[in-house]
Order: sequence, then structure tokens, then C-alpha cells
Amino acid sequence: MSTSERVAEVTVPAVAERRQPKRRRFAQNWWRHAVALIALVFALFPVAYVLSAAFNGDNSLSGSSLIPRHVTFDNFRTLFVGQKNTTGHATFQNAHYASWFANSMIVAGATALLTVLLGALAAYAFSRFRFRGRRLGMLTLLLIHMFPQLLAVLAIYLIVLNVGDIFHFIGLNTLSALVLVYLGGAMGVNTWLMKGFFDTIPSELDESARVDGATPAQVFWGVVLPLAAPVLAVIALISFVATLNEFVIASVVLETQHKFTLPVGLWQYIDQKYSEHWGPFAAGVLIAAVPAALLFAFLQRYIVQGLTQGAVKG
Amino acid sequence: MADVQFRDVDKVYDNGVQAVFSLSLQIQDGEFLVLVGPSGCGKTTALRMVAGLEEITDGTISIGDRVVNDLTPKDRDIAMVFQNYALYPHLSVGDNIAFGLRLRKTPKKTVDERVQWAARLLGLTPYLDRRPKELSGGQRQRVAMGRAIVRQPQVFLMDEPLSNLDAKLRVQMRAEIGRIQRELKTTTIYVTHDQTEAMTMGDHVAVMRKGELQQMDTPQKLYSDPKNLFVASFIGSPSMNLVEAEIERRNGGLVAKLADQELAIPAEVASLRPALAGYAGRKVALGIRPEQLEDASIVRDGADGNRLRGRVLLTEALGSELLAHVELSGRPVVTDDVLEGAVELEDAMLDDLAQKAEEERTTFVGRFDAESEVRPDHIVDMLVDTGKLQFFDLETGTSIRAG
Ligand SMILES: Nc1ncnc2c1ncn2[C@@H]1O[C@H](COP(=O)(O)OP(=O)(O)OP(=O)(O)O)[C@@H](O)[C@H]1O
Ligand SMILES: [Mg+2]
Repeated sequence: MSTSERVAEVTVPAVAERRQPKRRRFAQNWWRHAVALIALVFALFPVAYVLSAAFNGDNSLSGSSLIPRHVTFDNFRTLFVGQKNTTGHATFQNAHYASWFANSMIVAGATALLTVLLGALAAYAFSRFRFRGRRLGMLTLLLIHMFPQLLAVLAIYLIVLNVGDIFHFIGLNTLSALVLVYLGGAMGVNTWLMKGFFDTIPSELDESARVDGATPAQVFWGVVLPLAAPVLAVIALISFVATLNEFVIASVVLETQHKFTLPVGLWQYIDQKYSEHWGPFAAGVLIAAVPAALLFAFLQRYIVQGLTQGAVKG
Repeated sequence: MADVQFRDVDKVYDNGVQAVFSLSLQIQDGEFLVLVGPSGCGKTTALRMVAGLEEITDGTISIGDRVVNDLTPKDRDIAMVFQNYALYPHLSVGDNIAFGLRLRKTPKKTVDERVQWAARLLGLTPYLDRRPKELSGGQRQRVAMGRAIVRQPQVFLMDEPLSNLDAKLRVQMRAEIGRIQRELKTTTIYVTHDQTEAMTMGDHVAVMRKGELQQMDTPQKLYSDPKNLFVASFIGSPSMNLVEAEIERRNGGLVAKLADQELAIPAEVASLRPALAGYAGRKVALGIRPEQLEDASIVRDGADGNRLRGRVLLTEALGSELLAHVELSGRPVVTDDVLEGAVELEDAMLDDLAQKAEEERTTFVGRFDAESEVRPDHIVDMLVDTGKLQFFDLETGTSIRAG
């Protein structure tokens, strides 16, 4: 079984269907519920804090209780229209949350889309064509992936700086440059994952389509991609969320408030410079989580098993 | 409609394996050719070269009057049915069948008509909206057929399309495919390793072994006049009885001596095979088909025919006939040709054969009339129809005929 299949499987909760009287079932399975409950509490704990902080008026973490003493939307207002009351701290003259949010959506959306597209193209070639340098190419991709992208921050900065002198649209402080850097970073592992998945799609299907009169491009779009939907959805999701969270590279490439993505922008609220504004920070994070959740809800239905069932016998 | 020609086609795979050696074949327009041979003999390779899925290392393949060596599959105007069907799982049956037509930008109305036509021909009309995974094996097989016929290509290529079906369905689909091919008169190359399928379906049958063409002929000719020991033992079920025999001259005629028994070779047979006389005093491989043997006790006027006597080992009553395995003395032919051709025998039986060769005992299978009452351990006299005896050179394995 390929790695990517495993990804798909892990993502799909197995529906355990066993016909047993309800009571006995619980007596045998209570420990599963317990494990699930513990996992749930563990996962929801930070969410509870964020929720609490976002709606809390007190603006600091330490002094506040988990249940806000008075619920307020001030933190959200701060994000969009600036801070209302200045209590001795520095204030934001302009609220940039809307543009950070838009930037993040553009960068994460474009990165997810292009990652899937480019990764799928590369993976298709590696999976189906036999060409000189195929093995070497695969190994190189793997090798490059061994080094965290963080190692390359300095190099990335210099490259973007210099490239920007010639091509302004991918220079420093542009979203397109950031997208390009992200694309390069995730290429390797995604190509491997997708190639693994493509390898499980019987090559007779391609051949059959070619005999039916399809060009390689038509085979790719019409036969292979629809069958690879689960792995495409998983990779789109992973890549979207990862991009949404990425801080270091974004903070190096982007320089002005108007270009910041959410992590870079929101960081300023809890940066020492402005002291700790946990309230607006939590509120911003909360809003940022919405698109990711929506994307997951949308892509979930593509993450299913057995798409190639019935293609071939045996 | 077109003929297909292989001219000295070689195929060497990237790993250095040569799968096809200098293959020359001609398939007439509208003909049903079956490529048959044991596993790994290069049948699929040959077929895929016609389809354009495998590069041709040397030689040419032409369809109609076009050499297709360098054409993509798309431009060859062929359709292929794969061994495992290769249906598009994300498309409905109707869309599967229409796939090729849509790629060719056929008007929607024509597509619908043709899909309906193919579905009717194959009895698929009720299933057009289903997905492949909701079909039985036989239905999937028919969808694969439908996808091929709907485009009305110049050539059908089929790679063991029935091998995944159960025995009964296989027989049924065999007839079905034959019917459709006759109806459409489309040139067809059909690959199988099942010699029964080959014999029942093909206008012509090409027998391959280890990448080389052994013989291409009509099924009847292949059966009655195999060119070598491999074809002789491969074609026919149960396969031909092969035993070493010494040719001797006697009273101006020839006899074949098997150990302590002998068969007179009729003058017609000897004159059809002039070279046989040259083997006088030497050993040859003598071939007798099971139906040339009959239980002498149930033949009324067979008193002075040629006979062979042996001990019955086991019998298989098939209702219409009785297969008797009869052991007699004589050295079975166990050259590589025969062992490879005898694909029906299991390994244990092959070991047994070698063992028996050492002991100079051979087992004949006789196809007796169901009336025969022979039982295991009986001594039976078998009447031999010597008019159809086959002779092969033991060294070269080729049939002994003219000069
Ligand atoms: N892609 C390949 N690369 C290298 N060698 C191959 C390849 N495909 C087939 N071969 C070799 O070529 C020879 C012929 O294979 P082929 O598939 O044509 O046999 P076949 O007659 O179709 O057998 P079967 O009845 O088992 O399907 C075999 O020895 C096989 O190992
Ligand atoms: Mg094959």
C-alpha cells in the first residue's frame, strides 16, 4: 500500500457497524468512548482558551478566568476599526486585519491550488513515463525535502531580493513571491505522496483511454485526476492550512502592513513592542479558523476510499 | 476495415528481454485471428505493439496500407479490450461506452444512437446508468466490448478478454464475441492461452512459443497437421499421445515399432511423407490423437486392423465418451517441446512422465465410445486409425514430410 493511500485511510473514519444489543455494546466499548473523550478534551482545551480570550474584555491572559466575566465584541472591533480605548499602551492607528485576512486567503488559496496542480503534473510524469533521470529526479526531490525550509530562509531572502530587481512582481514584499517560495518548499513531499497514489491507479486505464483516442493531457484531466481526488483533496487541505500558519518565511518576505499575512500581522498584537493584546489576537485567530474549517467541510466528501473500484478485475 | 501485417517484428524490452523474435503475420481484412501460446510467449507484447502501447524494436506493422510504427494509439484507429477490462470507474456504463466517441467530437445525437446500438447488441441497455463497480464480471466484460465496438474501428484487439470469467460464462461469451465479430466483419486479433478458445473462435490460429511464431493455420490444419512437436502437443485436449517409435521396412512397406508392439504404416501415409522412408532403422516421435484409438472389443469389423495392447490405469466417463488412460511399453517423448506444449499437465504429472520415460512405459489417452466397458486394470486392445498417424523428427521436433 502506498503512503498516500494511508493518508486517505487515516482521514476517513471507519464506520464500525456491528449489530449488538446496545447495553452490551457499551459495556464492551466504554474504553473507546473514554479514549475519544480524552482526545477531545485535549484538542478542545486551547480552543476554549482562544474562545474565552476573544470574547473577554480584560485583554490579558493571566488575570482572566476561562469564563469571561463580561462578554464583549470589542476585540473584533479592534481588528477591523482600530482600538477604542487606549489604556497607556501604544495603539494601532489603522486596523489592517481585513487586508491581512485577504492576503492570507490569496496566498493560501493560490499555494494550495498550485501545489496540487504542479504536484499532480510532476507525480503523473514520475508515475507513468519512463525517462532519463526519473530515478534521480525522485531521489533529489526526497533529498531536498530532508532539509527544513527554515534552513534556507537567508538564501530565500537574498534570492527574492535580487530577483525583485529584475522582476518586480516576484520581488520582496509581494504575495506572489511568497507563493512561489511556498510552492518550492512543499513540492517534494507532495509529489511523492501523489506519485504513490497514482501508482495505485491501474495503468491499463491510461492505456485504454489512449487507445480510445485521448491525448496524454486528456488522459490526465479526464481519467487520472478524477480518480486521484482523495489525495488531491488531502494535499490541498494540508497545504492550505500549513500556508495559513506559516510565519517565519512570510515575515522575511513581507515588509509592510498592507502585505502582511495573518500570522505576521497578528503577531504584532502579542509582540513586546505593543505589549500583549491577547484579546484581539485571539479574535483574529478565531476568524482565521473559519475558512480552513469550511474548506475541510467542502473537501471531506472527496476523501473517500475505493474510487477505482470496478476498474479492473482481480 | 483493413488487414494487418507484421513484417519481421522484433521486440526487445528496456531490460534486455527479447519478447518477440522476427514475427511475420498477415491478417486478412475481416478475419478473426487468434494468437495462442503458453504464458510468457509474447502474445500480449505482440498485441500491444499493434495498439501502439509498446514500441516496435525492429520490423514494421501495418494496418491497411499504412505503416503504423510511429503512430500514436489514437491515430491507429483500433480498439482494444483489456484482460482486466480497464473500465473508467468514475463514469457510468453509458459514459464508458461513449468515451471514445466524445473524444472524437462526435455530435451528441450520433453518440447517443451509437451507445444505444452497442448496448442493445450486448444486452446492456438496463445498465447504462450504473457504475462499473455495480456490475457483475460478465457485464463488465460486455461493457469493455461495448467500448470497443461503438467506435467502429478498423481493428479489434482483445487480450484474453474472457480469462476472468467462470467456465460457463466463458463459453457463452465466446459465442457472443464470435457472433458480434461476424456481424461487424471487423478484423480482429484475439489473444488467449487457452487452446480450446483458439480452436473454436479463430478463422486462423497463430501458435507462438518463446516469442517465435510456430505455425499459423486454420484450426483444422493445426489439429490434423501440426508442423512440430510443440504445436502437436499444445493443440488438442486431451493432447496428442507421443511415443518414440522405430521405423522399419517390411515387405515393401513401413512399420513403426514401439517396444514390443508395432503398427503398419499405410501406403497413403507413407506417400504423403516421402521423407519418412529415410528414417528406416531410426527412431522418430510417433503421434496418435486420442480419438484415433478405440476399444477393439466394441468395434464389429475391426478384426484385422492395427492394434495396440495395454493396461488401463484409469477411466473418465464423460457421458458421450470414455477417456481411458492406458499404459503400454514404449518410451514417451519428453523433449522440451512436448513438456512446454503440454500445458494442461501439472508439474506432478510431468515428473511422473519423466519417471516413466526411464522405465520405458508410456501412457496413452484413448477417446473411446461410451459403450466401452473397460475398467482400471483391464488389459485392453486398442484399434488404431493409422491413416492419421503423425511423425516428428526427435532431434529437430519438426514434422516429417517431404525431403
Ligand atoms: N514491460 C516489460 N518489461 C520487460 N519485460 C517484459 C515486459 N512485459 C513483458 N515482458 C516479458 O516479455 C515476455 C512476453 O511477455 P507477454 O506479456 O507478451 O507474454 P504473454 O504471452 O502475454 O503471457 P501471458 O499469457 O502470461 O499473458 C515475458 O518473458 C515477459 O517477462
Ligand atoms: Mg498476456
